[in-house]
Amino acid sequence: MFFNSITFAIFLPIVFLLYWFVFNQSKKSQNTILILASYYFYSCWDWRFLFLLIFSTILDYTSGIMMGKYESKTKRKFWLWLTISINLGFLGVFKYYDFFASSFAEFVQGFGLEVQPYLLQLVLPVGISFYTFHGLSYVIDIYYKRIQPEKNFIDYSLFVCYFPLLVAGPIERATHLLPQVKIKRFFQYEQGIQGIKLILFGLFKKVVVADNCAFFVNQLFENHTNFTAVELWIGSFLFAFQIYGDFSGYSDIAIGTSKLFGIELLKNFNFPYFAKDIADFWRRWHISLSSWFRDYLYIPLGGSKGSKWYQIRNVFVIFLVSGFWHGANWTFIMWGGLHAFLFIPLLLVNKNRRNLSNVGYSYKDFPKIILTFLLVSLAWIFFRADSVSIAFDYLHRMLQFDSISIQFYIKNAKYILLSAIVFVSSFALLLLEWCFLKKYNGEIVLSKGMLFLLVAMLLFMGVYRNQLSFIYFQF
Amino acid sequence: MKQFIKKIAFYVLMSLLLFNGIAFLSLQILGKSNFYKPEFVKNTVIDTNFDYVVLGSSTGLTTLDTKLIDSITNKKGLNISMDDTSLNSHFLMLQHFKASNKSAKCLVLAVTPWDLKNKNPKLNNNDYRFLPYVQEDYVFDYYNELETKTFKPLSFSRYFPIIGVSYYNTEIFYPSIISFFNSNKRNHFDDKGNFCYPTNGKPNKLEIDEIEVVINNPFYFKIKEFCSQNNIKLRIYISPIFKTKLKIHDDSIIDQSNFLIDEEMFYDNIHVNQIGRRKCSIEFAKYLK
Repeated sequence: MFFNSITFAIFLPIVFLLYWFVFNQSKKSQNTILILASYYFYSCWDWRFLFLLIFSTILDYTSGIMMGKYESKTKRKFWLWLTISINLGFLGVFKYYDFFASSFAEFVQGFGLEVQPYLLQLVLPVGISFYTFHGLSYVIDIYYKRIQPEKNFIDYSLFVCYFPLLVAGPIERATHLLPQVKIKRFFQYEQGIQGIKLILFGLFKKVVVADNCAFFVNQLFENHTNFTAVELWIGSFLFAFQIYGDFSGYSDIAIGTSKLFGIELLKNFNFPYFAKDIADFWRRWHISLSSWFRDYLYIPLGGSKGSKWYQIRNVFVIFLVSGFWHGANWTFIMWGGLHAFLFIPLLLVNKNRRNLSNVGYSYKDFPKIILTFLLVSLAWIFFRADSVSIAFDYLHRMLQFDSISIQFYIKNAKYILLSAIVFVSSFALLLLEWCFLKKYNGEIVLSKGMLFLLVAMLLFMGVYRNQLSFIYFQF
Repeated sequence: MKQFIKKIAFYVLMSLLLFNGIAFLSLQILGKSNFYKPEFVKNTVIDTNFDYVVLGSSTGLTTLDTKLIDSITNKKGLNISMDDTSLNSHFLMLQHFKASNKSAKCLVLAVTPWDLKNKNPKLNNNDYRFLPYVQEDYVFDYYNELETKTFKPLSFSRYFPIIGVSYYNTEIFYPSIISFFNSNKRNHFDDKGNFCYPTNGKPNKLEIDEIEVVINNPFYFKIKEFCSQNNIKLRIYISPIFKTKLKIHDDSIIDQSNFLIDEEMFYDNIHVNQIGRRKCSIEFAKYLK
């Protein structure tokens, strides 16, 4: 059940009405209906994986209780590592086993040995990377006594399976979400209205911007050798818009949906294409994942403490792991590594924290914004390409300016129309976001007129006929 | 909560009214245009009686040039074929042709052997082109029968035009804007309904295939029945197919599948180019005479 599907458009109002009108007597009934709705939502993909989700919930819950029970560090450590091992074990089997097996076989073949790897070829349970990290943050926080273990199983289950964030985040923290599910929610008009606005804005990003870009991007990346350098450059920019529209659109819909149930989720994007450098970009892109890695990996590794070499090592570790988290493919590792390379120079000259706060923009920032966007777009090529060699070849062909033709984008009336839609919608998105940044300090504020315009663009420019899944569902 | 639901209901209602109004207008404009074949048949074709009409998919559209055939035979013909369609769409087009107060003595049904064999016809990619006429029962019934999912954007458009117009926005909404400013604009066909492929394509088949022509498609029988009820003589026509031999058990079928051998006459494996079209049309004129 995609957020941009008719099924969800029917599911959401039903759950909303049940939640506020039938099951609104107590926190317990509110949480119960949300859990049931979440399990139904998840089982729409593949009901068999529901057992995995429930098992993971029981494991993390039990582990939390056990860690809370013991004062002995050894026993707490045992439960922590047991939970981490099992959770990462599932992730490893479902997501990474085939990659490691085939990579090992290729490596050994390099020495002249013939090895046929045994591949599992399992279907990846949707959202596994998200809910695993969700649970891990909970048990790690308990281990370090940052939070108390949750004793109420219903409350904890909702923390793990809450449907707006279940399949693609934002990756929530127990410290943020659990206190909200532990109290009865009361409907707040402003929160509800803001939720609807966010849902519409998210749908616009996904259905209008991302899915129209996908029409060109898919063709370009499937057969990049047929296109000119200029067409490939445009393609890399279009993918930048596609992935942003797709993922931030999803996050907006998730946050907006959650607001309808009186629950606030963590912000996941903060206008990343207006970042002034790579470090700034990572403070704005997939914030819930970046901050997860910062808190549970980077800081335990020593973070920015210690010598420069240690800092560089830590930066590489966090970016490579972040890349690998996205998918079991060398392309994602390369993508992460490339971002580490782009980040290191800032670290070396101690400028990685210079744009920490949104201090506003001046005309001098525009070249920095454009340069950052350019670098990010080039790195996205590795993210999108099927293999590292294809990504390098794509980059190589981008530099061969033997023709400046953009025939691909205007080859017939349909292509001209879609090019125009892509251009207008991407431009409208940037303009809106710039307006939110400058005028409303990053708040998404949409007037009635803007909302009608968004709905009109959704209806007359959106992609419905060949509906596309969200890119991050595969992670 | 009450205030929230009231506000949402108000805006949903307003949006429904406004955007359904726009979608309705869009369908009206398109319905009175020449942009697609169904609209062309209804609005542009002035003649009401034809000696023959060619009805088919892209093979019918691009193989038989009714202008050339008419000049040879001195008959009055029209090409009402539509690309990316199959027998079920042809049946719909035939009903639409009749509903537009047009008649023909002979129907040349240009089909492929694969389409004739198909037992389970499905909605075709270009069937949305009849959407401006969804209020007509024959169009609505057709959509309703062939849209198999619970969500039926074409059928639902009878009551909420915005559903079909936004689902097929690039195919319906934008053409309606073009038609508003240029009502004579036709989408890739001439004033007799013909279109031809250029000479820059090539077939890419190495070995000769053998196909037996079997008629299983239920819509063929519907077309047959429709023709007999309306005194229309039905002739099946099979256009050239590169390196393919057909086993045909029915002598009444006009078979040109092997008529062209030279690959210079083809645009791809199943479509001829403008040179091939000329040869086929001249040969076809003999049958018509």
